[in-house]
Amino acid sequence: MSWALGVAADHPVLLVAVPLLFAALCPIWAMWKRSACFPWAMAGMSVTAFLAWSLIGDVSPRRALTYNLSGWRPPWGIQIRIDYVGLLMVCIITAVGLLIVLYSWRYVEHDLKPERVPYYYTLLLLIMTAMIGFSVTGDLFNMFVMMEIFSITSYALVAISGMKEAVRAAFKYLLMGATSSLTVLLAIAFLYSATGSLNMLDISLQLKSTSYVQVAAVALILFVVGFSVKAALFPVHVWLPDAHSIAPSPVSALLSALVIKMGIIGLFRVFFTVYGPGFAARSGTWNGVIDVVSWLAVASILVGAALAIIQRDFKVMIAYSSIVHIGYILLGLTVLSGNGTVGGLFDILAHAMGKGCFFMVAGIMIYKGNRRQIHELRGVGRTMPVTAWAFTIAALSIVGIPPTAGFMAKFYILWGCIQRGKYHFVVLALIGSLLTAVYCFRVVYYMFFTGARRPDARLDEGPVTMYAPAALLAAGTVFFGIFANLLIPSLTAAARLVLAR
Amino acid sequence: MKRLLVLVALAVIGVTLLYGIGKMPPMDSRASPDKTHVVPRYLGHGEEEAGAKNIITGVILNYRGYDTMGEVSVIFSALCAVIAILDREKKGRSRSGVDASRVRTSLIVTTVVRFSLPVVMLFAVYTMLHGEPSPGGGFQGGAIVGASIILFTIVFGLAVSTKRIPPGARVPMESVNMLGFLSMGFIGLAFGVQFLTYILPGLGVAAAETVRKLMLDVIELGIGIGGGIIFISIVFSMIREDRYELQQDVP
Amino acid sequence: MNFSRMFHNLNYVVSVLLFLIGLYAVTVKPNLIKKLIGLNIMETSVFLFIVSIGMVESGQAPIVTEGVKTSQMVNPIPQALILTGIVVAVSTTAVALSLCLRLHERYGTLNSDEILASITDVSQLGRPWEEF
Repeated sequence: MSWALGVAADHPVLLVAVPLLFAALCPIWAMWKRSACFPWAMAGMSVTAFLAWSLIGDVSPRRALTYNLSGWRPPWGIQIRIDYVGLLMVCIITAVGLLIVLYSWRYVEHDLKPERVPYYYTLLLLIMTAMIGFSVTGDLFNMFVMMEIFSITSYALVAISGMKEAVRAAFKYLLMGATSSLTVLLAIAFLYSATGSLNMLDISLQLKSTSYVQVAAVALILFVVGFSVKAALFPVHVWLPDAHSIAPSPVSALLSALVIKMGIIGLFRVFFTVYGPGFAARSGTWNGVIDVVSWLAVASILVGAALAIIQRDFKVMIAYSSIVHIGYILLGLTVLSGNGTVGGLFDILAHAMGKGCFFMVAGIMIYKGNRRQIHELRGVGRTMPVTAWAFTIAALSIVGIPPTAGFMAKFYILWGCIQRGKYHFVVLALIGSLLTAVYCFRVVYYMFFTGARRPDARLDEGPVTMYAPAALLAAGTVFFGIFANLLIPSLTAAARLVLAR
Repeated sequence: MKRLLVLVALAVIGVTLLYGIGKMPPMDSRASPDKTHVVPRYLGHGEEEAGAKNIITGVILNYRGYDTMGEVSVIFSALCAVIAILDREKKGRSRSGVDASRVRTSLIVTTVVRFSLPVVMLFAVYTMLHGEPSPGGGFQGGAIVGASIILFTIVFGLAVSTKRIPPGARVPMESVNMLGFLSMGFIGLAFGVQFLTYILPGLGVAAAETVRKLMLDVIELGIGIGGGIIFISIVFSMIREDRYELQQDVP
Repeated sequence: MNFSRMFHNLNYVVSVLLFLIGLYAVTVKPNLIKKLIGLNIMETSVFLFIVSIGMVESGQAPIVTEGVKTSQMVNPIPQALILTGIVVAVSTTAVALSLCLRLHERYGTLNSDEILASITDVSQLGRPWEEF
């Protein structure tokens, strides 16, 4: 047993190699028996989750886990580097991913053509692999490759149902996603020509002495443009409401809870690992870009919340809510104070759990009675108590009401803004919270305080594999709200290190 | 109006990029950072360190082998994506009884294709295995395999092709490129060295070199065969056997 | 801007122009296949850009052979990166084309304006206060 606990620390590459192996064998497995794909994907995700969580003791804010692929030291080879943020992301991805695979089981049986089911699970395993690889890599170009895997798989997952609107949304997503990928590739090229290296830490070392500061500054702008599209920041968010609302619900949960976070992790790596606040001394671009991103983040909060309020469709409303939270996370990360960064990172966790739960609840409503509109949710609080309460608790977290994780995250973000004297951001973010409360509690109102005109006895709770993951995620938001101190001290230390670079 | 906005945006992007390239090191200088920082080691020691005369192959398979593993996963993802969107090719749906995927050609074309196919395949395998001393490698070989089968399909029709290479045979081979990489990686782990390390400890120097050559060849063949089959499968699932099928599917 | 230096870096200028042409096609052209062609032009421009970074004066292919000094060889890293980039581009194009096939089946057209026009439920925008 102790051997098993240590294997991931000795070979962190297994975090990528194991789910990839499961993905490669999944279609072959399906030739024997199509229904065997679900246990196979579950097994793959469980092993990966075990490997990820066994690393928790091995990584601290001051000590990152490094692994040189093929034995080449960086900058000559590719290095896997699991720092505290990377570990946090890997743990979130594997935990939420496991629940999403479990949730998918009954949903895809009901929703997809049977011959597409094996490829659905293969795509799920591939997207998990890519997100894990993206979070832990220490190499810029490897980051691009991983980004392409999760982009291509998410285009397909959006379109997998084959519905008219789904295919259209996927194509729109593909055009914007592919253009943003190319922007990132162009940025990598600029940075490579300025520094001659692809390893992130080595690049940041080279940037301290390079004579091509302007080239690096242009690369920074391109990186921000590219990753903003992936993260769905305000002016380039237009693909998100279409894609997230029409995708199958487990896929929506996956995209909203995890995939758009990859854009944020990309921005985080670029801002703080590759360039770092030290670059501000060499070029004003760094501060300028940070300012622009924080203003765009506030704009995302307000625009997303305003558009969420006027939606009738439940899933479209949740999708706009994701844009709001991308705004909060990026506001926290770009306010450049220790507490803001802590809040931003904590909100990644809080939003992953809350929004995962939201989309799972929306999926149950579609599974049971094909209810997509908000006003169709009348009386759900009586007929489906577990689902409705899971939604309510997650809504508390999304709005930011104690004792939930969302409250802690927003508290730290706003504290960070106050510390830096940016009171206008505080006011605007609070207005955003108010709007968030309006659109979340509107649904809660329909669920609990309006009775169904004709209660339908068939519309009881869905299968346990569907409402249990949602309830677990809702419980998780409360757990991390109460026991936030499990993470906050380490995050504070990590944030301090990040901002001191 | 929209066009004007786009033009303004393009102008902004263009000026930014032109500013950037104006500040870049001159194009063919030998003193720019990209030629002085990491590369000299590859060019100077790449042959003995990575085991390939062609330094690019050395970079692809050895120094940055993990990237290439990601790359074959990208192709595999594309295959899964295409099948998830379009499904595999359908058999026996031709309502008119005419295989519309087949281009009507003369006897000369069919004969030439029939005779050149084995030669092209031989060239593909040669390309795959000769990435080490010369330009070539798995991806290029795989593209040749794919192109030749696609040519065969155009001339003889989808029905003939799928009879020769049925989905049951293709499915295991589509994963071969990833499985090649992963198995070579796990061999390294079993010997107690890093993932994708090809020089295994505990063997003599000469034996280790031979093993490295074998491992690199396995990976190249895997990339080539897997990539080729994936291209074929993608094109097959895009072909519609019946020319009326498209019109019939419109709701 | 230094024009003589820019002229020396002609490959870079051309790749920027290609990038802009591609971006124009992606954003403005209504036909989805033309949008994809624009995307491919953009991809090609980035590849040209990256390969040009690795160029040296009178360079040789980076293959160890008799009589070629390592100082004459071009930088192999951009070429290796481009191989990956091409594969990524092919994969994206394959997915995009299959989406186009499905779109054509579902909507009967590949014109994005017509596709947008055929959506009856243009938006789910409503007046939620009416529902209470």
